[in-house]
Amino acid sequence: MTLNPLLSFVSQVGQRSLQSVREVGYHAALLAEAFYWLLFGHWRRQPVRLGAVFKEAVGVGVNAIPIVALASFATGMMLAIQGIYTLRTFGAEGQVVLGIALSVTREFAPLITGIFVAGRSGSAIAARIGTMQISQEIDALRVIGINPVRYLVAPLLAAMLLTLPALTILSDLVALFGGALYCAGELSLPMGIFFERTFEVLVAEDVIHGVLKSFIFAVIVTLIGAGNGFNVSAGAEGVGQATTRAVVLGCIGIILADMVFTFLTSR
Amino acid sequence: MNATDLAIDVSHLVTHYGSRKILDDISFQARQGEIMVIMGGSGSGKSTLLRHLLGLHQPTSGSIRLLGKDITQLSADEMYDLRKNMGVAFQGGALFNSMTVGENVELPLREHTRLDENTMRIMSRMKLEVVNLAGFENLMPSELSGGMIKRAALARAIVMDPRLLFFDEPSAGLDPVVSAELDELILILRDAMNMTIVVVTHELESAFKIADRITVLDQGRILMSDTVAAVRASSNERIQSLLNRKPRNEAINPDEYMERLTREIF
Amino acid sequence: MEIQIEDRPPYKLVRLSGDVDLHSSPRAREAILDCLKLKAPLLVDLSAVSYMDSSGVASLVEGYQTAKKQGLEFALVAVAQSAMNVLKLARLDKVFPIHASLDERMAQQR
Ligand SMILES: Nc1ncnc2c1ncn2[C@@H]1O[C@H](COP(=O)(O)OP(=O)(O)OP(=O)(O)O)[C@@H](O)[C@H]1O
Ligand SMILES: [Mg+2]
Repeated sequence: MTLNPLLSFVSQVGQRSLQSVREVGYHAALLAEAFYWLLFGHWRRQPVRLGAVFKEAVGVGVNAIPIVALASFATGMMLAIQGIYTLRTFGAEGQVVLGIALSVTREFAPLITGIFVAGRSGSAIAARIGTMQISQEIDALRVIGINPVRYLVAPLLAAMLLTLPALTILSDLVALFGGALYCAGELSLPMGIFFERTFEVLVAEDVIHGVLKSFIFAVIVTLIGAGNGFNVSAGAEGVGQATTRAVVLGCIGIILADMVFTFLTSR
Repeated sequence: MNATDLAIDVSHLVTHYGSRKILDDISFQARQGEIMVIMGGSGSGKSTLLRHLLGLHQPTSGSIRLLGKDITQLSADEMYDLRKNMGVAFQGGALFNSMTVGENVELPLREHTRLDENTMRIMSRMKLEVVNLAGFENLMPSELSGGMIKRAALARAIVMDPRLLFFDEPSAGLDPVVSAELDELILILRDAMNMTIVVVTHELESAFKIADRITVLDQGRILMSDTVAAVRASSNERIQSLLNRKPRNEAINPDEYMERLTREIF
Repeated sequence: MEIQIEDRPPYKLVRLSGDVDLHSSPRAREAILDCLKLKAPLLVDLSAVSYMDSSGVASLVEGYQTAKKQGLEFALVAVAQSAMNVLKLARLDKVFPIHASLDERMAQQR
């Protein structure tokens, strides 16, 4: 290579951005197609089966309950510990309830849920679809006349859109419980009072804010998982790379989307 | 040949992977009820041709008519309807690993028909009987041997009684007895259902046994597409070396050869 | 596909004609199972079948099994060649009672 190193660097950056743009376009098309099948599949006589949606909902949602609950409980406690520690310097420990209530419902519950589902299911989706790609199962679906997006992605997307908000609300409750438990011990604040005050300061909008985010996260996890799976071409190693990418990009996607959403709605 | 009884009519097919030309001006025909064997050395483009026949890729140019319909021009809905008349057994089987053998075989019925549950169950079991896998419907694909996977894949391919059956490498990796059984099965299927069957294979013996016509590919081009007798009698050097399993002994051009070895060395 | 149902005491006779395929076989199945509900022994005449696929055969299999459970006779008569090929494919020609013609079966009856 006799190319000027600077030139080669610039060209690499260019190639990379081009690829990113292409990837974003690909995922957008995937999303549009999945929604198309969810909405119009019946009319085309190729419906998305409820049984499949239910099965995926158990896989990505119900089975995630223990881990999400545990993480949320710990997060709620952590917020209480940190909040009391910080507020004590102002002698304002009593305000900790407000802090916990708002940060749990608006930020931590949807984020924790999203990240854990990305880790659990984003990788599983990529691995499953990637394996099917290299074993020609995707081709087999197509020659049978089964659209792979309709059959594999649409039920997952529906399941994610149903379960992630539900998990987020569960996470809200468990995290608040964790916070309440710590406050009960540390500040001798009865749990009843904690929750009473919580529901005084919280407005519906706070919870809705978190739930809206969880819809976005559901889309991100599903698309990045499925997209990376479909793009596997080279063997078992390719599947491994796809699962790693699905988790890393899924988590980054969630955090970035969270930032943008919060910026746009909380000013 | 009358155009209407052609089950498969490929004309002037050209395909690329990226910028590399893989198939060049491929034309051949098969009538309803014929068994067409596609042969050729490794890398000659057999699998690529098959994937185009299945409508998995869009060719660069040329047409592929299956049962009278040009699949390069069909809408998604028309293709969907055509696929009910096509069955495919992939080389590795491509059974769905998350389903039992029985569910695999039933899947096309579930997707394409509104038959009674009992009818579907009986149909899939009948096809498992046909391929000698009776009683295996509750096993998972991972619990099957290579030959059993191939047969299960065949059962899935024929469960809708398709008019076109595509079979990639039925004998590859199987012992001679099992592969002879599969050949027998292909003949029985054609005779009973008047299927048009396209088989991709390396195995000469099997090709001669089952084929009505053989299409020989070489480096992406058709060397010959004719009856078994005509292929056997061909005087083409490449075909003869394929038939007699002689290693290729092409004349070497010393300058070109040196160029290939020393390219990009400074 | 056409279905004709006749009384040939003691039998019910179901005559199928035309194409028995994925679209029409559910009707054939229903006709056969309905006749069996009347507790009559059943003959299915396949002489005028131009094409039968495995969904048609599956309907016959289900009918035969249902008849057996009720201790009723079930037989195929005058099976057209195309249908016979499909039966043979799954070796069912050795399973179903098959009679060359209706007259033959009726003669045996006496
Ligand atoms: N996915 C792909 N991307 C790029 N090139 C490919 C791809 N698949 C096949 N090729 C190329 O196409 C050519 C024909 O390959 P093909 O798999 O059709 O050969 P084949 O006749 O089936 O060989 P074999 O008998 O070894 O299976 C080869 O040169 C191969 O390198
Ligand atoms: Mg190949």
